[in-house]
Amino acid sequence: MSSSIPIRPAEHFENLERQAHAARLGMWVFLATEVLLFGAAFALFATYQVQFPHAFKLGVEHNTKVLGSLNTGVLLLSSTLVATGVHALRAGHRKVASWLVTATIGLGLVFLVIKGIEYGKHFDEGIYPGGAGHWFAEHHDRGLAEFWTLYFGMTALHAIHVTIGACVLGALLSSILRGRLGQENAHRLEVGAIYWHLVDVIWIFLWPLFYLA
Amino acid sequence: MSTTPLAPAASPAPEASHAPGASPRPVAHPSYLGVDTTLRSWLLTTDHKRIGVLYLVTLLATMALGGFFALALRIEHLTPNATIVSAMTYNRMFTLHGVIMVWLFLIPSIPSSFGNFVLPMMVGAKDVAFPRLNLLSYWIFVAGSILVLLSTGIGGIDTGWTFYPPYSSISATAVPLALLGVFIIGFSTILTGLNFIVTTHTMRAKGVGWMRLPLFVWSIYATSIIQVLATPVLGMVLLFVVVDNGLGWGLFDPARGGDPVLYQHLFWFYSHPAVYIMVLPGMGVVSEVVASYARKNPFSYKAIAYSSLGIAFVGFLTWGHHMFVAGMSKFDAGAFGVLSMLVAVFSAIKVFNWTWTLKRGAVALKTPLLYIFAFLFLFVFGGMTGVATASMSLDVHWHDTYFIVAHFHFIMVGGTLTAFLAGLHYWFPKMCGRMYPERLGMLSAALVFAGFFVTFFPQFLLGNAGMPRRYFNYPPQFQVLHIVSTVGSWVLAAGLILTAFYFLWSLRWGAPAGPNPWGSRSFEWRTASPPPKHNFRREPPFEIDPYDYTQPLPDEVYQ
Amino acid sequence: MSSFALPKTVVRTGLALFVLWAASFGLSYVHLGSASLLVALAIAAVKAALVVMFFMELLHESLSMKLTLAAAGGLLAILIGLMIADAATREPPPLVPPGYPAPDVAKIPSR
Repeated sequence: MSSSIPIRPAEHFENLERQAHAARLGMWVFLATEVLLFGAAFALFATYQVQFPHAFKLGVEHNTKVLGSLNTGVLLLSSTLVATGVHALRAGHRKVASWLVTATIGLGLVFLVIKGIEYGKHFDEGIYPGGAGHWFAEHHDRGLAEFWTLYFGMTALHAIHVTIGACVLGALLSSILRGRLGQENAHRLEVGAIYWHLVDVIWIFLWPLFYLA
Repeated sequence: MSTTPLAPAASPAPEASHAPGASPRPVAHPSYLGVDTTLRSWLLTTDHKRIGVLYLVTLLATMALGGFFALALRIEHLTPNATIVSAMTYNRMFTLHGVIMVWLFLIPSIPSSFGNFVLPMMVGAKDVAFPRLNLLSYWIFVAGSILVLLSTGIGGIDTGWTFYPPYSSISATAVPLALLGVFIIGFSTILTGLNFIVTTHTMRAKGVGWMRLPLFVWSIYATSIIQVLATPVLGMVLLFVVVDNGLGWGLFDPARGGDPVLYQHLFWFYSHPAVYIMVLPGMGVVSEVVASYARKNPFSYKAIAYSSLGIAFVGFLTWGHHMFVAGMSKFDAGAFGVLSMLVAVFSAIKVFNWTWTLKRGAVALKTPLLYIFAFLFLFVFGGMTGVATASMSLDVHWHDTYFIVAHFHFIMVGGTLTAFLAGLHYWFPKMCGRMYPERLGMLSAALVFAGFFVTFFPQFLLGNAGMPRRYFNYPPQFQVLHIVSTVGSWVLAAGLILTAFYFLWSLRWGAPAGPNPWGSRSFEWRTASPPPKHNFRREPPFEIDPYDYTQPLPDEVYQ
Repeated sequence: MSSFALPKTVVRTGLALFVLWAASFGLSYVHLGSASLLVALAIAAVKAALVVMFFMELLHESLSMKLTLAAAGGLLAILIGLMIADAATREPPPLVPPGYPAPDVAKIPSR
């Protein structure tokens, strides 16, 4: 299946191959900034965890392990699907690719819903960022406020990234459906998928820190 | 070094052949300035040269604003007590002076203006890799700057440019707005850096290998690495302060178990490398200007190129020397003290290379080179005092005094601003196709240097005598040095105002420059001045090394 | 149009990820004490490496992209390492800041 609209490189590029290489490198450099953005928050988490190991353990134990783990599974599955979608588009199976990308976006929304349910539970229990809420009237350990502030800050920032990733994939999906994205310029889906994988990788590290250990 | 001579026969039928100083008017193609002259075509341009010019104009305006605050601060210190403003206004003014000069001027100064203008030409490309992203980066910068300036309108900020919590978490001034502004400007910095990295990797023309890139490209490349990797850390920590102040999250609030020293760790993980974001591009300008006016290849191309990367890397290992008295552990303080001194090694490699290149060269003394002389003197002076303050025992005495203020102004103003002015004089003919008046240029260079030195040298003495920074009042025995410093700031301002006037004059009445007024071998001079929209009308053979002065200049212009 | 054959690398990587996911979840119920965080993070690192190498296909990318990620990872290690070094070797801050409810002394970790 070939593309219905001829795809040419932008005028300042020699050929499409070079443009694809530039796009991928650009995305990797951007991912490096994302690594450092979340890395700053991870550094805060690590330092506070060294200072208040007891409070951080209490906080982790209070979190709902099943919901967090379910969300990890959701993201891992979505990553597998979108990686398959990239292979499908490269092989020219535009229809398969569009279904896989749709499923990925759907799983992203499932993730956000589960995250929202968790937030609702915290608010019901009286846990708010900054050590506000009645839960903190009963739990005084030094460092608990930091744990929950970091929890809300980091997971909210991650949820924003999931939303952005879903929007990016949505735009690419519409390109596939309109015949503007196909085998020749599959690198555009690749670049979008790489971003989605990074969002997954960040959650892979958030999960043990906030739910497991 | 290339030894292949450029055979004129290999490039048939040049349409416009220019000897230096000949007619500047390209016959075949309109310049990038003449392609389209509507306002819309400027504001929505994706041409890297026009974006460079947009940045330059914006940055000159922000510099003037920051300079205005600086002059007001100096006038305030003419007397030991209140002179023209109240203490609260003083707090807001020094904060705004710092915020504007650091994020609205110095960080983007050379990379976003000259980098955008010449980097694609230096790698032989038609444009940067992502032209629309480049335009977006400019408008993000404008939006962030507007937020910062809006915060002035609704009460300003009084935390100092470092925004240290716990005070910044509770200050009733417009902290969240200003910090969001800086956060947004950070996006612009990241996008520009990303663009330059990808451009350098993927857009080099045939024949322009890594070891044949003009040294300015190396320094901008190293700068971009810092921009891309350090800025997000600042973004994250500023966001936490925004929610601390705006929503009361209190992540750094000691009353809730928080640790303000962690803020300082993350802030300086960005803000110390940020000094190299400011000074590395300046070093790139120095390398270009020194080679052009010494008419000689740099003493060691590789040493200058790799030391740029070395500074970029080591710059990330030194942030703790800002925190010696902040309550950091003694182990970390010792480690950071030692690591900080490594930066001096790479800087010295560069300084020795430049001076030796000049000594061996056939020097043509022009305004840009005068500024480079100022740079070398002031940068070495500021750098050596930096090594001194990296020693913890000395820093405990000097910390938060005018000694530190003088030290970093020697690097930021004495280094970056002089290099910026050198670059402005050096590339002005390329950007506008006209020359500036040389004698006035030299006069203003002398004024800027003298004014700068008289302003900031007394501040070393003040700081060593115990004058703390950011204080509104001071004991009367410091008054003489303060007056000397204030008078110096007037001389500095006079030099800059004179510069502004003759540049405006030259835009209209300057002598036509011709494609290569300096006889430079660097790639951006191998096209017309001002260059056509796609830089080189056809790909020029980049066979002559950008620093090869052993052969006659090829008289063909690939416009 | 021929039918689409599932890419083997992706399927295998996906399976490995889910095995590690289950392992990490199961191990969190085993009492490992202070080692539990390290074990969980080690498994996370392996999972992240799998995603980066086979899903994001860094394995087949050019050196420039590998270096980009390596630089980001290296700097992050430096940042976290030196910050933890500070927190771990610092003289303890005052335990009860003014205005803060008195903590349960037994629960404060000794240094």
